[in-house]
Amino acid sequence: MNGPGDLVIETRALTKRYGDSILAVDDLDLRVRRGEVYGFLGPNGAGKTTTLRMLLGLVRPTSGRVAVLGGPPGAPQGLARIGAMVEAPAFYPYLSGRDNLVVLARYAGVEEERVEAVLDEVRLLDRAADRSATYSQGMKQRLGVAAALLKDPELLILDEPTNGLDPAGMAEMRDFIRSLGKGGRTVMLSSHLMGEVEQVTDRVGVIRDGSLVAEGTVGELRGRAVLRVRAEPRAQAADLIRALPDVDEVISVDGLLDVTVDTSQAPAINRLLVEAGIAVSELYAQQDSLENVFLELTRSGEETS
Amino acid sequence: MTREVSAELLVLRKRAATWILLGIWTLLGVFFAYVVPYALDPEDSPGGLEQFFPESLAGTLLAGFPFFGGVFALMLGVFALGSEYGWGTLKTLFTQRPGRVRVLGAKLAALAIVLVPFVLTLFAAGAVASYVIAQIEDAPVNWPSAWLLVRAIAAGWLILAAWAALGVLLGVLTRGTSLAIGVGILYALVIEGLLSAFADSVSVLEPLTNVFLRANGYSIATALGALPQEIESNGPGSFSGPFVDSLQALAMLAAFIAGFAALAALLLRRRDVA
Repeated sequence: MNGPGDLVIETRALTKRYGDSILAVDDLDLRVRRGEVYGFLGPNGAGKTTTLRMLLGLVRPTSGRVAVLGGPPGAPQGLARIGAMVEAPAFYPYLSGRDNLVVLARYAGVEEERVEAVLDEVRLLDRAADRSATYSQGMKQRLGVAAALLKDPELLILDEPTNGLDPAGMAEMRDFIRSLGKGGRTVMLSSHLMGEVEQVTDRVGVIRDGSLVAEGTVGELRGRAVLRVRAEPRAQAADLIRALPDVDEVISVDGLLDVTVDTSQAPAINRLLVEAGIAVSELYAQQDSLENVFLELTRSGEETS
Repeated sequence: MTREVSAELLVLRKRAATWILLGIWTLLGVFFAYVVPYALDPEDSPGGLEQFFPESLAGTLLAGFPFFGGVFALMLGVFALGSEYGWGTLKTLFTQRPGRVRVLGAKLAALAIVLVPFVLTLFAAGAVASYVIAQIEDAPVNWPSAWLLVRAIAAGWLILAAWAALGVLLGVLTRGTSLAIGVGILYALVIEGLLSAFADSVSVLEPLTNVFLRANGYSIATALGALPQEIESNGPGSFSGPFVDSLQALAMLAAFIAGFAALAALLLRRRDVA
């Protein structure tokens, strides 16, 4: 159980409305714990970036409360401990990557030696003297991460950090984010890419139409795995399995049996059916992918809207 | 604050637009203050041939600051803030340690510093031009007093600073550069220019034109040697008075700078950064 002091980000009934017609964030309650990598999932336009902007004090909430690192968003004391990359990283196009970071280091009150260290960390040292306008999308993303790391922040907020990256760049960025999450740093990662979130995060919040519709670990969101069995005669197989003490439910789906049971019971079930003379042609564990869960959560929103 | 200002100076120093504006401003400043009038008919110019000699340096150059220099300073101010919206760098700066007003303060301070070489470069180029003309005319080279030069340089800086502050405000107001420059030039030419021209015949306009940047800038320029007849024939920047007291003009320009900066700070503090 986490106490209030362990919450790095806490929002209560956070709402952002643009004019009368656009409700970007709706009554959002969000809690990000110290030291975790929190995935903030949602389709495009769900309100992820607006939420992140409110956490950073760039956008004022219409109503609700926000506390980031125990203080109001945008307060200098808080910002000094936060590194952020919101949407596309933005830099002075005519300045080199290094000079861009020097400007930010001076603003952040960080020693300029740190610039070389973060450039090295994101492997941009060899292009650091080139104008940032000449950087590829991937290099800009890396420069954005370097800028976010300048303050060696307690809290790192990254908005779609793999946007525009090729598969190799995405894999590299994922590894990088995973490494950033180690050592007590809190990372809030916004994304609409399931693979990215699944591989990197400790907990996930799913936002739809500005509201949090699900929250938990990836495992919790994906739900309990079931055993899928193809056996003949199916009715007799279902009766036998149902009689086992640990089995919660057996249902027939598309000619298969979905058995809700601890998947470690698979060998025992197989033995039981074979010894009873039932032909077992398939037996495997099946769990919803995060993508399916996400689509289910967001699709139901589309259907109701 | 020193670190933030040094960051902004780096941003301005490495920006091509700063150097391009400085180059054009210096070239055109000398061109219109010395080269063109001297080449056309120097005897017929309002100040006669003496206007082009070193002794008249302060007044001759200052006559170009309130309008012509103002437009350059306006562009510098617009670029300093307006471009940040286009590049999205404002949100990057606002997520660093200092608050929004401190970021604006750093930008204004850096801009104020950058305006110094703008004034000094033009005075240096003007000094060279006036010296060359004096040599050509075989006239004695008498330089204005150091005190007059210091006051003229300070006055030139103040005039440019007021316009630059207006540029900053317009950049924040329009969240960009193009519209801000358009509105700024429209204001300088149409609002200030036309109303000042009509003020002679429509007395009700006179109190209004007295608070214009143009009226106060030219009032300071004339107090330091610029010729009213020269200003009256200053093309789109022409102004025929009435001139206000120079102390009042100083106070008014300082108030403009403070007012524009305060308004820009208010807008920056209150508005969302997308």
